[in-house]
Amino acid sequence: MNIGLPSVQVFVLIVFSSVFSLFVNGVRTDGIPLLAKELDVADNIEITVDEPQLLAITLEQAIDLYKKGTVFIDAREPEYFTDGHIMGAWNIPFFFELTFKLDSLQGKDSPIVLYCSADECGSSEDLAYELQAEGFTNLYVFKGGWTEWSENGHPIGP
Amino acid sequence: MISLKQRSVLVLFSRIVLGVVLIAASIDKILHPEAFAKIIGNYNVLPFGLENIVAIILPILELFVGCCLIFGVMLDGSAVITAGMMCVFIIALSQAMIRGIDINCGCFKVSVENGGSHIGFRRIVEDIIFLGLALFILNRGKRKWELYPKT
Repeated sequence: MNIGLPSVQVFVLIVFSSVFSLFVNGVRTDGIPLLAKELDVADNIEITVDEPQLLAITLEQAIDLYKKGTVFIDAREPEYFTDGHIMGAWNIPFFFELTFKLDSLQGKDSPIVLYCSADECGSSEDLAYELQAEGFTNLYVFKGGWTEWSENGHPIGP
Repeated sequence: MISLKQRSVLVLFSRIVLGVVLIAASIDKILHPEAFAKIIGNYNVLPFGLENIVAIILPILELFVGCCLIFGVMLDGSAVITAGMMCVFIIALSQAMIRGIDINCGCFKVSVENGGSHIGFRRIVEDIIFLGLALFILNRGKRKWELYPKT
């Protein structure tokens, strides 16, 4: 192998970085799994307080929860929220304020639905993990989000 | 026309600038792999949960390549990898902007609260400049101030 060749150098650098980084990830305490895990999709929604759950839900399941008066949280930036959102949803950019309001109004074990723009956005899932870390136990991420909800003519507005 | 010596100095300057940028960009990502994986996931360009493995390898690659550029180790390979990374970043940023998804850039800092930025036109321009520097290093001609391999 002629190390003077750019292609050989690219190969050496990539292989060395890969091996080294995988080793470091393996030994560090906050290493991450090699493949990201998608959220499990809820089969049926049973509100339990026995074990914490964070699941993805479909439009039908979201409607079901909506009809039961579940709190919906809009995880998008406020300007998107102002343009349109699921009727009655909350949009509280300050995490502390959000957890305080949720905790004082309904406690940590009541169901919460989170959504953002559509399948492609990640903010609802990020916020769900943050809430889970704060001790909230019944978290549902409505993956279809604002796009699926509004396109299917469900209640929107202030 | 600039002289050969001036050109060598310019090449060294480009190497240091690009090297420092790459190292600076890698540190926060190395410290917070989970947050960086989520950012890559938000770009929605990688299938099958591959964002984690990219979040593990990419920052270390940036760090190594940055060091190699500064110290003149395997400079051709380092410049090719840098140019490749910049092309990928430019495409990822552009497609996210075209699709109108507002996400954290994940360019230098993994969290916006911590001084990071959202994606934007400025980031793309920066990456185009870095791409230019990498190509300039690749076409440097005379080899000077390089540690390995000696020619």
